[in-house]
Amino acid sequence: MLPGKLFSTRKVCLPSVSLEGPAPAGDAARVGLRMLLALTLSCLAFAARTIPFLLVLTAIDLALLWWLRGKQLSLRRELKAFAWQTLVILMLYLVRFRDLAGLWGGFKISWQLFLALLPSMVFVRSTSQTRIVQALNRVMPCRMAFVLSTCLKFAPQLLAEVRSIYEGQVLRGARILPRDLVKPWHWFDLLHCVVVPAVVQSMALAGNIALAARARDFGSQPRRSCWPGL
Amino acid sequence: MGVILRLKKFSFTYPEVETPVLQDLDLEVEAGRCYCLTGPTGSGKTTLALALKGLLSAGRYEGEIDMPSVDGSPAMAVGMVLQDPEVQLLTSTVGAEVAFGLENLCVEPAEMPQRVITALQAVGLEKPLDYPVDKLSMGQKYRLLIAALLVMEPRLLILDEPGAQLDPEGLDLLRKCLRRLKQSGVAIILCEHRPESLLSEIDTFWQLDGSGKFADGRYRGEEHAPLEPPPPSTTAEAEPVLQVQDLSFVGVGEQPVWSQVSFAVDKGRRYAVTGLNGTGKTTLLRCLAGFLSPQQGAVQILGGAPDAYRLRGRLGCLFQNPQKQIFENTVGEEVAFPLKRFGLLSGTVEERTAEALAACGISHLVDQSPHKLSYGQKHLVALASVLAPRPELLLLDDPLAGLDDGHSRAVMELLVHYNLQHGMTMLWTFHDPEAWPGWADQVLHLEGGRLVAR
Repeated sequence: MLPGKLFSTRKVCLPSVSLEGPAPAGDAARVGLRMLLALTLSCLAFAARTIPFLLVLTAIDLALLWWLRGKQLSLRRELKAFAWQTLVILMLYLVRFRDLAGLWGGFKISWQLFLALLPSMVFVRSTSQTRIVQALNRVMPCRMAFVLSTCLKFAPQLLAEVRSIYEGQVLRGARILPRDLVKPWHWFDLLHCVVVPAVVQSMALAGNIALAARARDFGSQPRRSCWPGL
Repeated sequence: MGVILRLKKFSFTYPEVETPVLQDLDLEVEAGRCYCLTGPTGSGKTTLALALKGLLSAGRYEGEIDMPSVDGSPAMAVGMVLQDPEVQLLTSTVGAEVAFGLENLCVEPAEMPQRVITALQAVGLEKPLDYPVDKLSMGQKYRLLIAALLVMEPRLLILDEPGAQLDPEGLDLLRKCLRRLKQSGVAIILCEHRPESLLSEIDTFWQLDGSGKFADGRYRGEEHAPLEPPPPSTTAEAEPVLQVQDLSFVGVGEQPVWSQVSFAVDKGRRYAVTGLNGTGKTTLLRCLAGFLSPQQGAVQILGGAPDAYRLRGRLGCLFQNPQKQIFENTVGEEVAFPLKRFGLLSGTVEERTAEALAACGISHLVDQSPHKLSYGQKHLVALASVLAPRPELLLLDDPLAGLDDGHSRAVMELLVHYNLQHGMTMLWTFHDPEAWPGWADQVLHLEGGRLVAR
């Protein structure tokens, strides 16, 4: 005869510093508004064509970053990413147009891309996944909300994997340090030694996440409920 | 105790493979008992575990998996924790992580907090429910994942290689947790090739013999004579190749990882840095290689500041899970890659490649695709590729993680061979302070944010 319950649900005291319990009333709406703001700012970055427009958007994004500072956000890290991205785009423009005059156009594209990505990065880093799911649950089925929020979380995990592969390959002699990449014939190493393993690793990571979710019966029921805490 | 799961003549074959990985297996699982599934690497332990959980999607099945149902119980029948805790954490807080399964079972939100707290207590992890999961140690993450299954009230819990990720402290807490689970009637299956630290809780051993069938007794690996510690490295006089002075590193959330770390590494000697999960061993190695900037202190490595550009070819690093750095089409090309990039002559490249492959015992794989090799073989390929250029200093981050006893011995003997033969200075990390005693000339231990010599 099998026991009905396998460990007793005895009376317990809550951990003393637990913040367990429902999320504050109206929290999902606030998170939804922030998500909408992030999406709007990202879309505006694509629409921005003039320097004053780009400057205004930059000021708003930086103000957001300053307001949310300390929540795993770092202006230095974001600017470093911007510098990298700009370097790669400028090099591609140089190869494509073989003319320094094309560089300004490349810089503008990089600026726009950065402003398009920054609000989403700020939103994801400053909002817990549970709160994102709770907000998305209001506008889409629960299962889809989880999948979408997991996709958002997947990006930083993948970046950590890429960083780890990059560091390993640098010391194996791959010519992929910034000063190496000034020479276009070294770009092949970046593709070969970092991008290829990163793609393989991203597929493995996605497969592992899906397996872990199925191991906890994700998809076994047509509906899902939602954790009420943070 | 009753039988909760029965396997009858069960066979499984992966797609595009002719030989079954599991053949005609019969077994019974009783409530409240702990089983340990042993067998050599690649013998099908994880495949059997995935089959019991119903997670094998592609392939050919034969036989039966019989699981008597419990009427009216919404509980999950089988829960499984996979090998790497990091990729199984699906949310950002402790409470949400444990509640994930309850969400999938469509449990009322009002019921969740109490059930989550009870599950956390069952594994001895009493953290606030909004505690960030990325601040937990590896052992805590593993127990969190067990709690995330217990909350769904499984009748059978399968743990895949818990020993691969946990330090001695984590294993001790896991052992206590397993005892409590057995007492409450949960059956447990451990897939583990190093079960020594959990022996007291194991009731029955199963052994997969490598041909897909069960054999009697417990797999103990190939019989090896006990290894004697190697002779100490010989150096004429102390010549420091690495000097670390008052190094401090602050991590996410302004939390100090370690501080005032000072030590020196002399040329041609072997060093071990030990420390439990989460003490900052990997962070230390990344600082030494110049990939992270410490907040305070100074590092002098191979005659200068840590700069990856300057150190290329002189410093070698084998980071955790080195298999993921593999990208070439053949094993030979993978090992030869750094030699070509360091500008060695083609004759020397061939000679060094052959030497490294032979030393690692994988010469026969030279023309094979590294992507199709086993976990242990890929590990050896990655190791061969960092040994082949014969760097002056080699940093190895937990070089035995996930390897069985045979591969672990091969790796340790190989490292000592390169140290003694080529005078290569080595610094490796382990999470078990007692691992491989006598194999390093000096052991440095990270504890409480400080580094102490042992």
